[in-house]
Amino acid sequence: MTDNISRIEPSGQVSLLAVFPDLGPAADAIDKLRALGISDDQMNVISGVPVTEAMLGRPSQWTNVPRLAGGGAVLGFFGGAFLMYGVPYLYPYPIQVSSQAVIPGPPTVVILFEITMLGMLLSTFLGVFLDSYFPNYRPMEYVKEVSEGKIAVFFKCSPESKEKITKAMTALGAEKVEVAEVEQL
Amino acid sequence: MIRPEEIKLSADQSGKWGMVIDQDICTGCQACVAACAMENNISFVGEADSGYGRSMHWIRIERFWEGEYPEIKMTPNQPMLCQQCGSATCEPVCPAFATVHSQAEQLNVQVYNRCVGTRYCANNCPYQVRSFNWRDYKRPEPLPNQFNPDVTVRRRGIMEKCTFCIQRIHKAQDKAKSEAREVLDGEFTTACAQACPADAIVFGRVDDPESLVSQLAHRNHGVKHLEELGTLPNVTYFKGG
Amino acid sequence: MAEYTDAVHANVVHEHKDHAKEHLREKHLMLDPLPRGKMNEMVMESMTTTSWKFWVVFGILSAIVAGCLFYVWGYMISEGLGVTGKNRPSYWGLFLVNTVFWIGISHAGTFISAILRVFKAEFRRPFTRAAELMTTFGLVQAGFSVFMHLGRVWLAYWLIPYPNQRMLWPNTHSPLTWDLLAITTYLLSSTMYLFLPLIPDLAMARDRSTGWRKTFYKILALGFRGTEGEWTHLRNAMTIFAFAIIPVMFSVHTIVSWDFAAATRPGWNSTIFGPYFVVGALHSGMGAVVMVLAIVRGTMKNMKYFIRGEHFDAIAKLMLIISMAWAYFFFNDYMVQWYGGDKWTHQLLHFHEAGPMGWMWFAMLIFNIAIPWAVLWNQKWRSTPWIVFAVGLLINVGMYLERYIIVPVSLSINRMPFTWRLYYPRVEILLGIGTLALFIWLYMAASRLIPLIPVWEVEEGQMAHELKKFGRETVVSVSELE
Repeated sequence: MTDNISRIEPSGQVSLLAVFPDLGPAADAIDKLRALGISDDQMNVISGVPVTEAMLGRPSQWTNVPRLAGGGAVLGFFGGAFLMYGVPYLYPYPIQVSSQAVIPGPPTVVILFEITMLGMLLSTFLGVFLDSYFPNYRPMEYVKEVSEGKIAVFFKCSPESKEKITKAMTALGAEKVEVAEVEQL
Repeated sequence: MIRPEEIKLSADQSGKWGMVIDQDICTGCQACVAACAMENNISFVGEADSGYGRSMHWIRIERFWEGEYPEIKMTPNQPMLCQQCGSATCEPVCPAFATVHSQAEQLNVQVYNRCVGTRYCANNCPYQVRSFNWRDYKRPEPLPNQFNPDVTVRRRGIMEKCTFCIQRIHKAQDKAKSEAREVLDGEFTTACAQACPADAIVFGRVDDPESLVSQLAHRNHGVKHLEELGTLPNVTYFKGG
Repeated sequence: MAEYTDAVHANVVHEHKDHAKEHLREKHLMLDPLPRGKMNEMVMESMTTTSWKFWVVFGILSAIVAGCLFYVWGYMISEGLGVTGKNRPSYWGLFLVNTVFWIGISHAGTFISAILRVFKAEFRRPFTRAAELMTTFGLVQAGFSVFMHLGRVWLAYWLIPYPNQRMLWPNTHSPLTWDLLAITTYLLSSTMYLFLPLIPDLAMARDRSTGWRKTFYKILALGFRGTEGEWTHLRNAMTIFAFAIIPVMFSVHTIVSWDFAAATRPGWNSTIFGPYFVVGALHSGMGAVVMVLAIVRGTMKNMKYFIRGEHFDAIAKLMLIISMAWAYFFFNDYMVQWYGGDKWTHQLLHFHEAGPMGWMWFAMLIFNIAIPWAVLWNQKWRSTPWIVFAVGLLINVGMYLERYIIVPVSLSINRMPFTWRLYYPRVEILLGIGTLALFIWLYMAASRLIPLIPVWEVEEGQMAHELKKFGRETVVSVSELE
C-alpha cells in the first residue's frame, strides 16, 4: 500500500487527495482548485460529520430519497386499499361480522395509514441503499483520518499540474496531499 | 358469486332461529347442561380446573340469592347460553375470521379450525358464554365411547360456544329438502330443549309468526338480556310471569 | 472520570481561567469538546472493555432466558394455556400486560430520538442510540409476549395478510389485525431508524478495529465513506424518518388502547384511552430510559464523559411533565366514568379501589404521580443519576400496576356477576421474567457490539455550540448547522 507510483487514470488524469484539519481550509482549498481549473464534478469531499454543501461552497447534491419515499407511500397506500377494497371481492361469499359493513369505514383509515407509512419508510430506507450504492465492499479511495474529524478532498488533475496543486494545497493548510489509494475498507 | 355490497346487514333483520327460556319453571336440574355436553362433544374439564373458572359448558345454570345470610331468598335459576346475537360483539374483533355471522342461518358461528386462540371474542362477549380449551382434557371411561359423529372434537387453544345445535338444524333441513317441504315447527329441537323435563326451553323459528317460539316470545313479559348494548340477542327470558 | 480529565483539563486551562465558563464546560457535554479521535477511542474502549462481572451477569441472564423463556414457553405450548392462571372471565392476563408494558417501553426511544430531533433539543445527542435500542429490543419482547398469549401460536402466520391456499385473509375489522400491522410497521421502521444514524459510527468502528470485529463492522458499515452524496442521502432519510415515525409511534399505542377501548366492557369502553395510553407509554418509557442511562453510565467505561447530570436533568423534566399529563388523562377518564352512572362501571371503579387488588390502585397513584411530583421539582435531585433511577424504577412499577389493573383486574368484573372471579398468574410470571432477562441480555450484547454513543452526532453538536458574552454574562449559543 505504501508504494507511491502515480496511478494514471484511463483519461490520463491522476487522482489526488488532500486532508484538511478543518472546514475553513477545506472550503478555501475547494475555491483554489476551482481557480486552478478543476471543475466541481472532478472533486469529492469525504468527512466524518455531515458537512452541508453551503459550508464548502459546493453545488447541491441530488438525492432521490424523498422521491422514493413518496413513491413508497403511494405503493403502500394502494397495498392498503387492496387489502380493504380488493380482498372482500376475492371471496366467493363475503364474510359478515356483526352488523358492520363488509368494507368498513373507520378501520379502512387505520389500515391505509399503517400500510402507507410502512411503504414510505421501507422505501426511504431502501432509497439510501440505492442512492449510495450500499452495500459496497469493493476497494475504494479512502483515508481513515476522516472518521477522526478530518476533511478529505479528492480531485482529479492532469499529471503535469500535480506539483503545482500539491504546493497550493499545502499552502492552504493541507496536512497531506498524496495520490489517492484504492483500498479495501 | 355474491358481492359485498349485496349483503344485507343483520341489524335490519329479526333473526331466524330463536329460543325462549322460562325461568319460572326451570328447576335447575342441569339436564340441559349434561345433554349439551353429550351432544356437542364438550371436553370433560374435571374438578380442579372447573373450580378455577374453566368449565367449558356451553349452557350454564346461574343461581343467585338475594339478601344476607341467614335471610336469603333464592331467585329463579337463569340458564345462560350464547344468545346468537344479530349484531354480535364477538365477531368483528377476531383477527382470523374464526367467528362470523352466518347469512343462511342468521346465527353466530364459530369456525374451530380457523381459531388461533386470541380469546378476544370471549372478552368482548357481554354474556360471558364462550369457553376456551385451556388444555387437551382427557375423557374418563366410558365417555370416549359416546362421541357425536356430527360434531367436531376440539383441541387445546380453541374457543368454542353454543351453536344452537347447528348439526341438528342442518339434518332437519336436509331431510325436509329431500321430502320437498319446509322444516316444520317442532320437528326437531336443540339438545338442551329436548332434555329439559319442565319444557322451560323452547326452540324454533322466530321469523315465523306462527311458530310456538314466536308466539311465546311476543308475550309481554319476555326480556332479552343486555339488549341495551344493541347486540340483538335471539333468546327471550321469562321471569316472574 | 480519570481517563478523560487530563484532556478536559488541558482544554479548559488552555482556553480561559474564567470560572463561569469552566463551570459551564463541566456541566455541558456540548461545551466540553474533545478531539474526535479521542472520542472515537473512548467509545471503542467502552465497547471492548468487559469485566468478569459482565460475563457473570450475561451468563445468569442466558440461563434465565433459556429456562424461563424458551423452556417454559415450550412446556406451555405442549400443555396448553391451562398452565397459566387465566380463566373465565380473565381470558387475558399477564401476557397482555407485558405486551402493553413493553410497547410502552419502546415509545421512549422514538420519543427521544425523533421528537427531540425534530425540535432540535440538543441534549438528546449522546443518548439517542441508547434510547433507540430500547425501542427495538422492547418491541421484540412485546412480540414474544403477544405470541405467548395465543392459544395456537403455531398458526400465528394466519394473521399475516398474504395470498394463501386457505382463501382467507385476516379480518381487517379486528383491532388485533390493526395491532399486528402497526407493531410490524413500528418494529421495522424503528429498526431502520436505529440503523441509519449508526452507519457512520460503524464506519468509524471499522476503521479502528481488527480481527472479527473488523469483519463485523465492515459488513454492517456497507462501505460507507462519508462522501457528500452519502451524507445527503442519509440526512434526508433521517429527516423523513424523524417526522414520519412520530405518527407511527402514536398510532401503535393508540391501537393497543383500542384493543381495550373497542370492546363492549365496562371500564374499557372509553374514548380517552388512546391518548391516555400514549402518555402512559411515554411515562414508563422515560422511566426506563433513565434507568438504562444510569446503568450504562455507571458500568461502562468512559460513559461519564458522555452522559452527565444535565442529561438526567433534562429527561427528568420530561418525566415530570409526562407524569402531570398522565395524571390529567387518568383523572379525566375516572371523572367521566364516575359521572356516567352506569352501574357496571361503578361496580368496577369500586372494585379497583376497594377490591382485593385495591392496594395496586393506590400504589399506582403513589408511584406514577406522588413520587415524581415530590422529587423531580428539585434540579439538584433531577441531576443525580441514582435518584432519577429510583424514580424511574418506581414509575415503571406504577405503570405495570396500571396495566395490570386495566387488563386482569378489570376483566374480573363484567356484566354477568355469575362469572366474576379473580385471576392469579402462574407460569406467566416466569415468562415475564424471561422477557425482561432477554431484553437486558440483548441490550448487554448490543452495548459491546455497536457504538452506544453516536460520536458523529456528538461532534456535530460540539461544533455547533459556543460560549458568547452578553455584557458581563457568558451564555451558551447554538448555531443551526442543518
